[in-house]
Order: sequence, then structure tokens, then C-alpha cells
Amino acid sequence: MNLNLLGINHRTAPVEVRERMNIPVERLGDAVSDLVHREGIREGLILSTCNRIEVVVSAEDNLEAEPILQQFLAEHHHCELAPFQRFFYRRQQQEVVSHLFRVASSLDSMILGEPQILGQMKQAYTLARQAGGLNGTLNEIVTQAFAVARRVRRETALGSAAVSVSYAAVELAKKIFGSLEGKTIFVIGAGKMSELAAKHLLRSGASAIFVSNRTYDRAVELAQAFHGQAVPFEQLFDTINKADIVISSTGAPHFVVRKEQAEHLLAARKNRPVFFVDIAVPRDIDPAVNELDNAFVYDIDDLEQVVEANKKQREREAVWAEEIVRQEVQRMMKRLASHEVVPTIRALEERLDHIREGELERYRGSLASLSPEQRQAVEALTRGILNKILHGPVTELKSRAGEPGQGSLVQLIHKIFGL
Amino acid sequence: MHDVLLWTALAFYGVGLVLLIPVVVRRRPSLSPASLGALGFGLLAHGGALLAETAKLHRLPIIDVRSALSSYAFLVTLAFFFVYLRYRITSLGLFMLPLVFVLTLIGTFHAERTLDSSSLRSGWLLVHISSTILGYTGFFLTFVAALMYLLQERQLKSKKPRGFYYRLPSLEVCDELYYRSLLFGFPLMTLGMLMGFIAALRTWRGPWGLDPKILASLVTWLIYLVLFSTRVSGGWRGRRAAYVAIFGFATMMVTFLGASLLSGPHGYFPTLRQLP
Repeated sequence: MNLNLLGINHRTAPVEVRERMNIPVERLGDAVSDLVHREGIREGLILSTCNRIEVVVSAEDNLEAEPILQQFLAEHHHCELAPFQRFFYRRQQQEVVSHLFRVASSLDSMILGEPQILGQMKQAYTLARQAGGLNGTLNEIVTQAFAVARRVRRETALGSAAVSVSYAAVELAKKIFGSLEGKTIFVIGAGKMSELAAKHLLRSGASAIFVSNRTYDRAVELAQAFHGQAVPFEQLFDTINKADIVISSTGAPHFVVRKEQAEHLLAARKNRPVFFVDIAVPRDIDPAVNELDNAFVYDIDDLEQVVEANKKQREREAVWAEEIVRQEVQRMMKRLASHEVVPTIRALEERLDHIREGELERYRGSLASLSPEQRQAVEALTRGILNKILHGPVTELKSRAGEPGQGSLVQLIHKIFGL
Repeated sequence: MHDVLLWTALAFYGVGLVLLIPVVVRRRPSLSPASLGALGFGLLAHGGALLAETAKLHRLPIIDVRSALSSYAFLVTLAFFFVYLRYRITSLGLFMLPLVFVLTLIGTFHAERTLDSSSLRSGWLLVHISSTILGYTGFFLTFVAALMYLLQERQLKSKKPRGFYYRLPSLEVCDELYYRSLLFGFPLMTLGMLMGFIAALRTWRGPWGLDPKILASLVTWLIYLVLFSTRVSGGWRGRRAAYVAIFGFATMMVTFLGASLLSGPHGYFPTLRQLP
């Protein structure tokens, strides 16, 4: 087993360098094909996203693979790699396994627990496989990396809590309303920020949307984009009681919704809860509204605070995730090591059987006078002796698989039996 | 037989409860099969214990305090399973099961004085007690829902999500549980009160209306009447209703346990007055 990785990511290289080294999806298949056709390279995988470019190979034993990877990149990008050397990192053998498992579980991502990397890796995997670059050890490792990512996702909350302001708003809405199905959004002030928040909420299940703006045309524009209804600004408080979630981002210097208005709103709604997302600066919703029973007001700072708390939560979960990865790497290394004993066992079996056949051949003449049953008995006898002799070494090899003593045992058996 | 089964139930409840803790602490999405299994076995054993007692005494095990509490604990655990299967609230167990454990533990104490007069076997009385206990089961869920609601609401209002924020269900789910359990519990308690009223009229003479337990039940019933009607008509929900629901549960527990110790003809431990 000879694994090598060469790469750059958002931590080691600035975006200009990553741009330079990027391999677009359309060329990925051919690139892998080129890579594995190089002398000594058995398998290859290329991962190229906006935050990382990595080339991984499984090469022939005892081959120094890094120069080949360097040459590959240089040729592919038609440039000298010398000026970029300081941005690259390298991994070998077990570190490659660990790295791939961590990347797949989004432990190496810019935002811990982000879900895109797994999809990107799967795409890279599919393209590499199609190009014939994955058919052995590396294939096994990458497939297992996906399983590890699934396990991390299942057993930790690494990817759960929202780490962007708009997703935090959705998450909070869900904490209040359970499901967003059938819930109504009211947008006050049709701007870019409110549009984004509304989009996320609609995508998460909210069904109806009203838009109100000082300039009616702008409200109509946004309402149409979301298949919602525009409301003239003067009629705002006639319709707003239909809303479960209010997103406000007007440029008004004063409060658009004051405490008394909120009280009326709640009464009209028979105290069904209302969630105010106030992304305006200066604020649109009077903070005193938060004191009312069943009204929840979050301004932009509050949302940032939730995001920070969630990020810390993710960091705590990451500790568990790293432990899972550690366990899985150990299991994988054991599995890979045990593969190494299989050829030895096979070679041993073949060797002994060869001896058996040879002796039987030598005594063919003397055995010719035997009856068919007796000849069969001789066959069985010789095979029986062989199996009993084999039993010891084979059991020992299998039990030592993946253990530190495996290497020396394999060597010993090769030596004793002249394999 | 009964004792053995009850101790078994207690043991399984204990195990189930302990296994629950890592699930909630580690924020797993659902209870481990081990935890659910332990609680399930506990429930079966508990049910078996109650059946055994019914068979031995030839009546429902709800007449003395000890077995009433045991039956109550059984019903609460049963309710837990229904609610968990419907809503998958993992932290629910931490709220409900400690009480179940304590009540079942009390159930293992030996009864000191069991009342057994013919009047206690009347049909009205059995319906009264069963209906009331079922009502109380509903109210326990109302209490738990109100508690979870308050904790979650406080987190959301403070805007600083801490431990609970990540582990409690949404306000909507808490409210739905609250509402449904009220719909279940209140009519049953009302039926129980009515049955008790009728039974009292037929059995007792004298000012039984002033008996502490009966007064306490009336207070409890009135509180839940307020909660029920205001919630159904749609007005009263949220923090304040939750506080009242918690207070209502306190009065309910006082009614269930405390007043029994003081009460005369109604009490499980008759003191000064005599049963007719």
C-alpha cells in the first residue's frame, strides 16, 4: 500500500492560487485518466472545489509518488510549480486515510459541518471511477470515507445548527412554529436582505407571503417573484395580523411596529405566536414588543448571536466527530493491512499443493495398480496432510492481520516456505 | 407475585431512566432502543403487577393510596409511550420518568390500612376513581408540556440559546401537547367529579361538602376549567397559561396525595369521622 496526497486549501493558499490550480469539472475525468496512466500510479482521485484542490493516488509499493504528482499538476496547468510550493501540503499512508475521512465529514471545511463537501467528493469519486481511476485500495478508502461522513452526521450534531443569519432565522422560526407548513410571511420593506430571508423561509415550507413597501411598485415586483400578494403601505396594519413571521427591513428612522400595534396584532391573532425578524438598521420593530407574551423579536445582532452560539455548538460536536474519525481510521488501517496477508496465504497454499501434486506424479507408476477407490483415498490422504500442515500458519497469519507483528510473520513464512 | 413484578418494573424503569441521560446530553435525535426497551419491559412488568393485584383483591387496584399511585405511574408511563411515538420528543422522558420512578417506588411500600367496605365496591365509585385518575394522567402531560414550553420560551426570549434550546421541542409541539392533554384530561376529570358527586349523595350524610379533599378537588377542577375554556376558545395561550397549568398540577398533586391525609370520610385514612 502506497498512498500519497498533494493539495492546497483555503487555509494554506489564497484564492488567486486556488483559482490557478483549479481543475474544472468538465476536465476532471480526463485529468484522472492522465494521472493513472503515469508510470507507477495505480489509482487516482482529484478533488477540486473553490476551497481545495487535492490530488490523491495509490501507487506501486516503494515508489516515490510525489514528484509524479508535481509533474502532473505542472503539465496540466502548463506552469512551473516552484512559485507555488509553499502553498502545498502533503500526506502519506495513514495520514491520507485520516485526511480523506476528515474532509468527507466536513471537519476540514471552512465552515464546520457544511453539507456541500460530501456532494463534491461524491462527484469527484464518480468521475474518477468512470475514468477508470478507482478500482482497488483507494476506491475502498473513499467509499468508506462516505460511510464515515454518514456516521458523523448521524451520531453528532455537527451539521445541525444554523451558522448563517438567514438560516438562523429559519431555525428560530421552526423552534417557535414547529413546521413552517401553512405559515404566512409578511415582508415589510422590499430589499435584498428581506428577499433572501423570505426565500429561505419559503423554501423551508412557508406557504403564503405578503409584501409591503413604501413604493408600491417595488412591493408588487417582489410579491410576484414569490407568487405572493402586495399590500399598500397604508394598509399594512389591516393585513399584518395574518402573518406568523414578519420580516422587516425598511429604511425608516423610526419604529414601524410599536408595542401597542403589536398588542392589537396579537389580540387579532388570538395570541397565536408571531416571530419578528428585524434586519433593519435603525430597527423597525420596537424591542419592547419582545416583552409581550407570544411575540418574539430578533434583530440583526440577536441573529448573529445565535449564529455564534451555534458555531460553538458545532465546535463541541467536532470533538466527538474527530473521535469517530480516529476510530474509523484505525479500523480501516487494520482492514487494509489484513488484505496484505491474503496473497501470502494464497501463495503458501499454492506452494504446498504444488509439492503434493509433484509427489503424486512421481509415484504415479506405483499407484497405477490401485483401484479407483484407493486412488481417491490417496488423494484425500495427501490433501488431508496438506490442510493440517497449512492450518497452523494460515490461522496465525489471519489472527496477526493488522497487528504490529504481521510484517515480520509474513516475511518469516515467505522465507521458511520459499515463497 | 405482585411485589416481585413491581420490583422488576421499578428496576427496569431505573435502567431506562439512566440510559436516557446520555441521549439527552449528547443531543441524539431519538431514544436508544435499549432505553425504550427497558421502559417497555418495565411497563409490562408494572401492568402485570397491577393485574396480579386485581386478581388477588377482586377489584381494581385504585382504592388505597399506594396502589392508586402505582396505577397512576403505570398510566403516566403508558402516556409517555404514546406521546413519544407520536412526537419523538427525546427530552420528554427526563421530565416524566423520575416522577414515575418515585410513584412506583411508593407503590412498593406495603399498604398500612386498606379500606374495604361494601360501599367501596359501588360502580359509581369505581368510575369516579378511574375517571379521575385518567384525568390526572392527562394533567400530568399538561404539566410537562407547560414546563417544556416555559423553558423553551425563556430560551427564545433571552436570545442566548443555551443547553435547553437545542434539546427541547418547538413551542408549537409543546403547545399541541398541552392542548391535547387538556382535551383528554379535563372531560375525564369532570366525569370523575360528577360520579363522585352522585356517589357521595347516595352514600354520605352530613356536610361532606366541606371535606378537605373534596374542596381541594373542586379548586383543582376550577383551575383546569379556566385553562380548558380559555384555551379552547383560543384566547389564553403562552407563558401565563403555562404558569397556571403548573400551579394547577401542584393543586392536583395536593388533592391526590395531601388532602387524603387530612380528609375525613373521603380520605384513605379515615380520622375522626366514621364511614356510614
